[in-house]
Amino acid sequence: MNHLTPLVNQSDATSTSLEPSSVLVVKRHHILVRWSHWLNVPLLLGLILSGISIYWASPIYQHRPDPVTGNFDVAADIGIWICAYVPGQHQYASPPDWVYNHMSLGPGILAVALRMHWLCAYLFMLNGVVYVAGLVMGRGWRALLPHRADLVDALRMLRYYLGFPFAKLTRRECLHRGFNTKYNALQRAAYFSIPAAGFLSVATGWAIHRPMQLHWLATLFGGFDAARVWHFWLMWLFIVFVVPHVILVLADGWDTLRSMIVGWSTKVDRLGVIANEQ
Amino acid sequence: MNNEEKGNSLDPEDIPSTSARPKLETTKLTDAALEDTNPAAPIDTETLQAVEAIEEQGDADGSPSLSANQQPRTDEAASPVAVNSGSAKKPHSFFGERPLPLIDMAPRVLRYRTRRDLMLFSAGAVAAVAGTGFLLPQTTLSRMGVRGDINSRANNWLLNKTLRIDDDVAEALYSPNRMVPTYTKSQITPIKNNYNGATPDPGYISGWSLTLEGLASGLSVSLDIRKLMNRFPVHEQITRLVCVEGWSAVAWWAGLRFYDLLRAYPSIAQAKWARVESSVNLDASGNPDPYFASIDLATARHPQTLLATHLSGQPLTVEHGAPLRLLVPVKLGLKNVKAITRITYTAEEPKDYWSEYGYSSYDGL
Repeated sequence: MNHLTPLVNQSDATSTSLEPSSVLVVKRHHILVRWSHWLNVPLLLGLILSGISIYWASPIYQHRPDPVTGNFDVAADIGIWICAYVPGQHQYASPPDWVYNHMSLGPGILAVALRMHWLCAYLFMLNGVVYVAGLVMGRGWRALLPHRADLVDALRMLRYYLGFPFAKLTRRECLHRGFNTKYNALQRAAYFSIPAAGFLSVATGWAIHRPMQLHWLATLFGGFDAARVWHFWLMWLFIVFVVPHVILVLADGWDTLRSMIVGWSTKVDRLGVIANEQ
Repeated sequence: MNNEEKGNSLDPEDIPSTSARPKLETTKLTDAALEDTNPAAPIDTETLQAVEAIEEQGDADGSPSLSANQQPRTDEAASPVAVNSGSAKKPHSFFGERPLPLIDMAPRVLRYRTRRDLMLFSAGAVAAVAGTGFLLPQTTLSRMGVRGDINSRANNWLLNKTLRIDDDVAEALYSPNRMVPTYTKSQITPIKNNYNGATPDPGYISGWSLTLEGLASGLSVSLDIRKLMNRFPVHEQITRLVCVEGWSAVAWWAGLRFYDLLRAYPSIAQAKWARVESSVNLDASGNPDPYFASIDLATARHPQTLLATHLSGQPLTVEHGAPLRLLVPVKLGLKNVKAITRITYTAEEPKDYWSEYGYSSYDGL
């Protein structure tokens, strides 16, 4: 390890070297934050897939049974619709199961799905503790707290993101306002809401899981049945978050992705301002 | 105006001297093309912070002493500024965001760490995919086109272990003194007949009797419904029945307390469980398929655990387990055995009808 030090000093001495002698970096994410971030991928996937298998056993959204098929499940209707109108799906063997076959572990496996759900849920809760520990130890938690002016700024960022592809196509300039914080207002809103949604998912999960011993928790969400509805839509919040999250990270470039794997980021734009000032 | 709000979003106190601000605003306007344009003042404190932070930082990764190369950027140019603002520096608000400490790193080191962590990351990703394949149910895997039986005993071991942990948590949460919520008659919801097989023919009701076994007396006792209803006080309650499938129903039940039966016919001293059985249960094609579930005696003694005889003020119908069903609102619906014909007290935990299908046998709510 020590042999690296003289090497660096050498390159410092030779100013003709192509490589800069040093690069300024910031530690963007604590190692525990990075670990818990990536562990969320399999855990949330497991929770969602097993969760929809559990949903199959007693769907929240039901209607009067169809006189012909006896079907009452809205999710089954969606499957039937997909098989009827989506090209390439017309030959699908069991249209009512389409949604469950594509978005869950499968229909009719409640017992396995429940056990998988508990396994992922306990690990997800542990992971949440790891994440919070990482936020505290890495002092990153303050960067997630929303500011007072964030609502307007977040909408402005949203407009920027939505307008960006169009601006690229028309070769117009599309600038967003600078910000001197770790995250912009929209990011703060997202990165604050998602841990909050994780917490609420766990809370509603317990409210459904132990509605008698923890009946106060179920009451907090409007009762057992309402807690199920909460739990269901909180899942959609994660799904809706993930899509732009992944697109924007990839669009933002390697440095941003690297900062969640390695921790370091070379995006220290503020330094440019220091140089200008001098 | 918004500029100011943004710049100050950390905290107004971050800006040491108000005189610096007009200059700032102009810098901002001219540098508008720069992605990041921000007040100089926070930067001054930031550089200071960098110096401080690096001293205490070490390497959070616990990676080798490569951090020796990390030199804080305290060159001749930056430090005077920092010193100037040092005197004016005010404490951050507790919730105010702190700037990230800047660290000088040799590109070599950054590359080395990137490579190392990427390899670790890839190994983790491969492990996650392998683990997923290992955990997924066979039916899911075969639908995905994965052949062969990679689901092993170890997979079941892990899932069953999880179930036991979850049951232990439920048992720890359980308090014999905690009552389940009760409802008013206006909150009653329809309750469906969820017999897992065919609904039995009501012919059994006329010859029905309840047999008690595992009693302290060593005898086997047989009770008919008239005797049960005359001998014990009737209790009413409007409680929620929650099914493992996820649906629930608020219903108005009446019947005798299990506890009263236990006091009248005490179990053997070492008994910890009651096995509750219905011999009239049928499978889907209408063949006899006795249904059974266990409850621990602590649950049986709970004041809201009834041997119900009435639903909505009427004697139980055959769909709901006439003439006597177990109503145990602190447990999932599958423990609420309909048309009970036999109760056996045991020291060892009896099996549940559903346990061999992979369901919990504690089922505490």
